[in-house]
Amino acid sequence: MSSAPSIRLAAAPTKTLGEAIYFDSGEHQLFGWLYTPPADATAKLGLVICKPFGYEALCSHRGLRAFAEAAAACGIATLRLDYLGTGDSEEIDPQADQLSAWTRDVISAVDELRRRTAVQHVCLLGVRLGALLAALAARDCAAVTSLILIAPIVSGRRYLRELRTNRMFASLLDAQLAGAEPAPAETPAGGMEVSGFRLSAATLGALTHVDLKSYAAPTVTDVLVIDGKDLPGASAWAQQLVALGIRTQYRVLPGLIEMAMTAPQYAAVPLEMIAAMQDWLGQFAQESSATVAPRTPPTVVMTLRGDEPAQHAVLTERPVFFGSETPLFGIVTEPRQGEKRRRGVILLNAGADYHISANGMHVELAREWASRGYVVLRMDLAGLGDSATRAGRPDNEVFPPAALDDIRSAIDFLRSRYGATDMTLYGLCSGAYHALRAAAAGAPVNRILMVNPQNYFWEPGTTLDDLQPADIVYNPKLYRRKFLSGDAWKRLLSGQVDVWRVAKIFFNRPLMAVQSKLRDLARRLRIRLRNDLGRELEEICKRGVRIVFVFTRGEPGIDLLKIEAGSSVKRLGESCRIHIIVGADHIFSQSGPRSMLKTILSNELFART
Amino acid sequence: MSVRATVISQFEQVAVEQHRKLSRLSDDLKLLDSGLDSLSFALIVVRLEDALGFDPFDVAEDVKFPVTFGEFVKLYENHPH
Repeated sequence: MSSAPSIRLAAAPTKTLGEAIYFDSGEHQLFGWLYTPPADATAKLGLVICKPFGYEALCSHRGLRAFAEAAAACGIATLRLDYLGTGDSEEIDPQADQLSAWTRDVISAVDELRRRTAVQHVCLLGVRLGALLAALAARDCAAVTSLILIAPIVSGRRYLRELRTNRMFASLLDAQLAGAEPAPAETPAGGMEVSGFRLSAATLGALTHVDLKSYAAPTVTDVLVIDGKDLPGASAWAQQLVALGIRTQYRVLPGLIEMAMTAPQYAAVPLEMIAAMQDWLGQFAQESSATVAPRTPPTVVMTLRGDEPAQHAVLTERPVFFGSETPLFGIVTEPRQGEKRRRGVILLNAGADYHISANGMHVELAREWASRGYVVLRMDLAGLGDSATRAGRPDNEVFPPAALDDIRSAIDFLRSRYGATDMTLYGLCSGAYHALRAAAAGAPVNRILMVNPQNYFWEPGTTLDDLQPADIVYNPKLYRRKFLSGDAWKRLLSGQVDVWRVAKIFFNRPLMAVQSKLRDLARRLRIRLRNDLGRELEEICKRGVRIVFVFTRGEPGIDLLKIEAGSSVKRLGESCRIHIIVGADHIFSQSGPRSMLKTILSNELFART
Repeated sequence: MSVRATVISQFEQVAVEQHRKLSRLSDDLKLLDSGLDSLSFALIVVRLEDALGFDPFDVAEDVKFPVTFGEFVKLYENHPH
C-alpha cells in the first residue's frame, strides 16, 4: 500500500478548471464536470456534487464549482452533474417524476466517477434539494459511504410550501404591476413554475410524500450536516441520525443565503462551508488509491435526437474552451450533418448568470436554432460561469472591460472552427449591452439581438449599486404616480423617503432630456460627441448590421433608448427594429411571455434582409 | 419580541442579504413598493415559520394575498396558533 498522499487543505479553493464530460444515465446523456487530481494525490474516496433546484442552482453555480475545485485540491476526484432536464444535460419528459429521475442520475454519476477514476467509495455532497437527492440515492447505492448535506430538504411538503410562497408573491407582484388578478401557483398541467424553472405534477406529488425523518436511516457510515446560519432546518433530523447510530456531525455555518439564494451577480462563495468540507473529508481521504484507473477516453459530445427519424435529425453538442490568453468556456450546439449554410450565433451572459441563462433559455434557444441550421455557441465571459478569470481581474464581473476581446475570440472561434460567415450576437440585459458594444466597435457581425438592455454605456469604475441611468428614467414614472397620492406625501413629510436619492433622480432626468436634444442637434451638424448612441446605431446600420431590440413593457431601456439615441431610431426605420412584449418581467420568468420572446427572436434571426 | 417586531426584523435582515433597498415599513406600504422580490418574501416566510412556529400561508383554502405590509403583519398577528 502506498504512503498517504500529501493533501493540501487550502482555506480557499484553487482556480482549477475541470474537464467537461457527458455520461450516460439510462437512455439519456448528462453533462458534468470532472475534476481529477494528480495521480500521486488520488484518494480512494471520490465526491459527487448534487446541486439544488432551479434558481438556487443558477445562483450557486460559482459556489459549487468552488466546492469541486477545493475537493480536487485535497486529492479527491470530484464530479458535479446536471440532472436530466437541467443545465446542459438532455431534456426531460415534461411529465416525468423529476425526483425519481434525478435520484437515478446521482447514482449514474457515482458509477461514472468510479469508472473514470480509481475511487472505490463515494461521498455525495448535496445542497438543499440536491441534499435530499443525495440522501435518497445513498439508500440504493452501496458505493456511497458518506454524505455531506448542506441545508438539506428534510420535508418535501415544507419545501413545496416555500416554492408556492415564492410563486405566490411573484404572481402578486406581477399582477399588481399589470393591474390584474394574480395567476394561480399551479400550471394547467398540474405542475408548478418557480422563477422560470418547472416541476411536473408527478414531482409535486412525489415531494408531498417525502420526509427524511420518517425514512429508514441512510446506509452510510458518516454524515456531515451543515445547516445555513439563517435557515437552520435540519437539526432535529441530524439528532435522529445520531440516535440511529450513524456517525453524524452537525454544524451551523454562514454562507447558504449568499451562495444559493442571492442573485448571481451578488452571490458569494461560502468559504467556511468549503473549509468544513475539506476538514471533514480529510479524515477519509488519507488512504490513497494503490492503482491508477485506466484512462477511458471521455465522451465529449452529446447527441440530441430530433423528431425526425434517422441521422438527419440528430444535433450534436460539445463543450469547448477557446481564447488565447484566458480560457473561455462554451457549449456549441451543432446543426445536423450536411448543413451547408455557415451561420453562427453567440449567446452572451445575462448579468452573472452562467451560460444556460435565467430559466435555461439559452439552452432552449441553442437547440431550437441549431435544428434550423445554425451553429450556436452559448458562452461564459472571462470571470463568469465556467470560464477562467482574467489575470488581474475579479470573478463575477458583469461589465468586464475586456468583454469585447472575449466576444472577438468567440467570433474567431466560430469562423475558424465552423467556417461561419454570417454571425449574430444575442444578449439579455448586460448581454445586450455587450452585443451592442461589440457591434459599435466594429466586430464582424451581421445582426445583434438585444433584450431589455438597461444601459448603453458603462463608465469604468461604476458598480452595480451606483445610481444608474435606468434608475433615473424608470423612477420618475413611479414617483409621478405617487406624487398625486396623499399617502406618498404623508411618507415624504414624515421622513420615510430617501429624499437625496429622489432629488438626484429628479435633477438628472431633465438634464438627460436636454442632453438628448443637444445630441440630436450635434448629429444634424455632424459634430461627433462622446457616448452618442444615435450616431453609433447609424454607423452600425451603415455597415449592414441588422439591429433588433426587444423590451418588456415598462422597461427603462425603452425610454433610455429614446433619450440617448434621439431621432436616430426613427431615421433607421426597418434597420433598427423594436418589439415590446406585455406582461413579462425583466428576465421572462413566466413561460407564456418567454415563448413569445423566443418566437420574436427566431423570426428576426431567420428573416432575410 | 412581538409578532410585529419579529416580522420587521426579518424584512430588514432579508433586505440586507438580498442587496435590496428596503422602503420604510409602514402599514400602508404596498408590498410591491417595499423593494423586495418574490425570493425575498419566500425567505421571510420560511424564517418567520422558524421564529414563530407557524406559516399562515399553509392552509388548504386559498389565503387572500396581503397587498400591504400592514395586511402581512395582521395575517401573522391574527393567526390562531
